[in-house]
Amino acid sequence: MSVKPDKAGSQPHGAPGVHTKPLWSVRPASDREAGDAVVSNFLLHWFPAKTYKPSLDWNYSFWLGTASAALLLLVTVSGLPLLFLYVPSVERAYGSVKDIEYVTTFGFWIRAVHRLSAHLMVAVVFLHMVRVFLTGAYKNGRGQGQKREQNWVLGVGLLLLTLLLSFTGYLLPWDQLAYWAITVGTNIASSIPFVGSAIRELLLGGRAIDQATLIRFYVLHVIALPAAIGVIFLYHMWRVRKDGGLARADRATLLPEKAAEAPSKTKTYTLLGVARGTSPAVKASTLERADTTVNSVPDLTRRILIVVLAIFALVSIASVFYHAPLEEPANALVTPNPAKAPWYFLWLQEIVTDTTVKIGSFTINGAFLGGVLLPGALVFLLTLWPWLDKSAPGSAGVWFPKDRRTQNAVFLAFVAGVLVLTFIGTFCRGPYWHLYWPWQAWPELPTRI
Amino acid sequence: MSEPKSRREVFLKLGLGAGVAALGAQAVASLRSLVPNVSYDSPTTVKIGMPNDFPDGMKFLPDERLFVFREGKTLHAVSAVCTHLGCTVRAEALSAPETKDVSGKPLRLTHRFLCPCHGSKYAGDGTNVSGPAPKPLAWYHLSLSPDDGQVVVDLARAVERDFRFTLA
Repeated sequence: MSVKPDKAGSQPHGAPGVHTKPLWSVRPASDREAGDAVVSNFLLHWFPAKTYKPSLDWNYSFWLGTASAALLLLVTVSGLPLLFLYVPSVERAYGSVKDIEYVTTFGFWIRAVHRLSAHLMVAVVFLHMVRVFLTGAYKNGRGQGQKREQNWVLGVGLLLLTLLLSFTGYLLPWDQLAYWAITVGTNIASSIPFVGSAIRELLLGGRAIDQATLIRFYVLHVIALPAAIGVIFLYHMWRVRKDGGLARADRATLLPEKAAEAPSKTKTYTLLGVARGTSPAVKASTLERADTTVNSVPDLTRRILIVVLAIFALVSIASVFYHAPLEEPANALVTPNPAKAPWYFLWLQEIVTDTTVKIGSFTINGAFLGGVLLPGALVFLLTLWPWLDKSAPGSAGVWFPKDRRTQNAVFLAFVAGVLVLTFIGTFCRGPYWHLYWPWQAWPELPTRI
Repeated sequence: MSEPKSRREVFLKLGLGAGVAALGAQAVASLRSLVPNVSYDSPTTVKIGMPNDFPDGMKFLPDERLFVFREGKTLHAVSAVCTHLGCTVRAEALSAPETKDVSGKPLRLTHRFLCPCHGSKYAGDGTNVSGPAPKPLAWYHLSLSPDDGQVVVDLARAVERDFRFTLA
């Protein structure tokens, strides 16, 4: 039995929680309608009804998180047609990628979109992390029950997953880059004392790089890692919401409180979508100040749309002119000279080059020190940093606050170190990994022995 | 003695425990399937050709990733697998060969080895000279096949650097 309203339109808003409009309005006429858009829409439900205005500033976050998400969407969507075209077999993988590049209509473009967005994603996710660190956005500000440090840990996980997805991705064409990257990558794993060779065998699916290896990395690339990154990404977004928005929004509590007013009906709706009970974070009274907040629909959604469209346009247009490279087919008999990893791993390649140390007659392989211990320590430190950062809560959500000056400088020194090593690896390394100036010509060497 | 538990509570815990154990066992079974029980490796003892196929000096065998050196009647084999991260090193002929005492025996060095991945350098006897390589290139055992007289390398049997295989 259902109760019908006497007459259509007699109850324009329906009962609480019932939303009459199936779609949201781009130009909501009232706060009520703007709030409804968020509450009633699946895609928008993880946004607050109201957003703190300065959180939307282009020059605070540079919208790097949104850009990362847009790139994740793009790399996923462009991967779908490739799933139909790529054949994960050592005999046919290279040929199928070559077909995508040269035979399939628009195949080169789809592959270029996939590759460009993947590369951009590595860069943008890294920059997003740099931004969050420098603004101390992993810090809990003034809200109650905030757990921003958890979101930072998730973010570190997302960065690692992005790198793993890139690594497993460039193995799939089964060209020279792929073969020797697997050789080096799995030998780094096998340099771990005691368990190393077992790990390598598990990664390769045997003792030699063969079909078992390709199918493992293929499944990781198309199922396991995307699933992991998808789930953690959603949780990452949800946590932003639970922690009361960007760290910058905490600053709203510094503003003078709004004068007491008779409680109005709209309050329910401006805060709807926020979990009840132990809900955030930022005091509602200041968030409701008309001059500090805007309706998320359309002010937030419009900006998100702009960022996503800009990313799509950039990658899509650039991919017409850019061609994803494909090296010679995998050849176990010849190591390319020089054998270079993609640019985002070259700092690691530099580190494993330089970290073999001799203590008396005892030698520690650079593979273990530079390939496992040092990156492991970096990730460990990065993960723990929110608990080591003892600066005041007030320096969350601010660029270059005074009491975080030292740690920001140290962090930037590490970032600069990674960038310098990446530059050296990209532009200054030639045959036999010798150093050359970027403008210096490499000597003529036979490409084959 | 603690308070007697209600039957309901005991069954609840029993049920939960059984559920966790069952899920855990299934997860282990699924993951165990990813550990290969058989590895179809290529054989480690390989016939690499008649003694006459090896000229005086060096011959590179890409399939075995091996350098075979011959000096008159003696042969020795040096691995081409870099001890750092497993790339194949390349041989570069020395402008003037030199003779050095290696593990108590004289050895004529005609080449040195360079790795294209991380720039390790090895002397002609496989000693790591510079770069990240942690140890020398391996030397492998050579013998003669009794059936057809081919030279046989045993890639699972590393030998000291005074090893020489002398042809009859």
